[in-house]
Amino acid sequence: MTGGAAVLAGLGSWLPPRVVDNAELCRRFDTSDEWIRSRTGIRQRHVVEPGMSTGDLAVEAGARALKSAHGCGVDTVVVATTTPDHSCPATAPEVASRLGLAGVAAFDLGAACSGFVYALAAGAGLIAAEVAQQVLVIGADSLSTVLDPADRANRAILGDGAGAVVLRQGLATEAGALGPFDLGSDGDQAGLIMVPAGGSRQRSTGERAADSEHYFRMAGKSVFRHAVQRMAASAQVALRRAGWTLRDVDRLVAHQANARILSAVGDELDLPPDRVVRNIDTVGNTSAASIPLALADAVRDGHLCPGDRVLLCAFGGGLTWASTTLCWPDVEPA
Amino acid sequence: MDEILERISTLLTTRFGVAEDEVAADSVLADLDLDSLALVEFGLVAEKEFGVRITEDEVSPNHTVSYLAELILAKAPVA
Repeated sequence: MTGGAAVLAGLGSWLPPRVVDNAELCRRFDTSDEWIRSRTGIRQRHVVEPGMSTGDLAVEAGARALKSAHGCGVDTVVVATTTPDHSCPATAPEVASRLGLAGVAAFDLGAACSGFVYALAAGAGLIAAEVAQQVLVIGADSLSTVLDPADRANRAILGDGAGAVVLRQGLATEAGALGPFDLGSDGDQAGLIMVPAGGSRQRSTGERAADSEHYFRMAGKSVFRHAVQRMAASAQVALRRAGWTLRDVDRLVAHQANARILSAVGDELDLPPDRVVRNIDTVGNTSAASIPLALADAVRDGHLCPGDRVLLCAFGGGLTWASTTLCWPDVEPA
Repeated sequence: MDEILERISTLLTTRFGVAEDEVAADSVLADLDLDSLALVEFGLVAEKEFGVRITEDEVSPNHTVSYLAELILAKAPVA
C-alpha cells in the first residue's frame, strides 16, 4: 500500500493532421487574419477528417500517455468530452477496448471545457477510495463536428484534439501528486454555451429541431466575463487549499478559450505573461483537450520542467469551473 | 466627474495600451482600439476600480470615454 494520492505518471497528446489556417478561413468567410488574431490570438487549428471521431482522437492520445507511463497498467479509463462518438453508449468503453483494455472501468465525463480537470478529480477520487489504482484520463473533443458551416466566429476559435494523462496511486508528497481541487458550476447560465437540440429536452417534444438548433452556440461577451471571474476565483481557492500563494506558481496552465481571456485571467491573478502557458495560436480552443495539449507542448518546448509548481484552471459550459495544483514530475510526453 | 475621467484615462493607458495623448473625454472607444471584448475586459477592471458592474450590453465601442464616465458615476455607490 503506497497511499491515497493520485500521481501523474504519463502524458500523451494528439492532433488530427488536417490544419485549417486563417488564410483558408479568409477564403471561405468574410474575415481577415488580423481580425481573427486580434480577437482570439489564433492563427491555425486542427480539424478531424470526415469519418474521424472523438474516440479516434482519444485512442491516439491515450496510447501515447500509456507509452509515456512506461508500462504502468491501467484499470480505469475516463474520457472527458462534449462531443462523444454517439449519444449512447459512452465513448470510453470503446476507447478502452481499442487500447487493449477491455474489461476495465470506463466512463465519459461531461463538464465541457472543464471536463479534463473534473476528470482528474474523478480519477483522484477513485484512487483515494481504492476503487482504482491507475486511471487513464483523456480530454478529447471534435467541436468542429457541431459547428454551423456558416459560423465564421466559432470556426475561427474552435479546434479538435486530445490529450491524456495516466494517474497512479502514490504519496501526496511525490512530484506529480494532484493537490486539492476546486470544482464548481452555475446552471443558471446553462444557455450561454450550448448545443440546444439532440438531447432529451428537444427529443421529448416529438418535433424535428431546426438545423441551427443542432449547432454549437456561445454568447461570447457574457462568457468572457464569467470565464475571467470564475477562473480567477477558482484558481485562488485551489491555491489556498494547497497552501500556496500566487508567488509560488511557476506555471499557470489554464483552459485556453481565447488568448484574451487567458491574458485577462493572468492579469487578475497578477501572474507575469511568461508564467502563463500558451499554445492557442497553433491549436485553437480545443475544449476538454486544451489543458493536456498545453501541458504536453509546454514540456516539449522546455517551458514546463520537473519541479515547477503548476496551477491548472479550467472553465466551460454548464457553466462549470475547476482548478487544482501539482508539482510537475519528470515525465516525457509521447 | 473629472476624477472619474482621470481614473478611466489611467486605466486605459496602463491596462489597455492606449497612448496618454489619445485619451480625451470625447474620444470614441473604437478609435482607441477598444472592441467589444476589450469593453468586457474594461468592465471587469471597472468593477474592481469603482465597485460598479458594467454589463456587456451597456456600453459599445461607439460610445465615448465621457459616456463611460457618466455610466460609472450613475452606478457608483452613494458615499
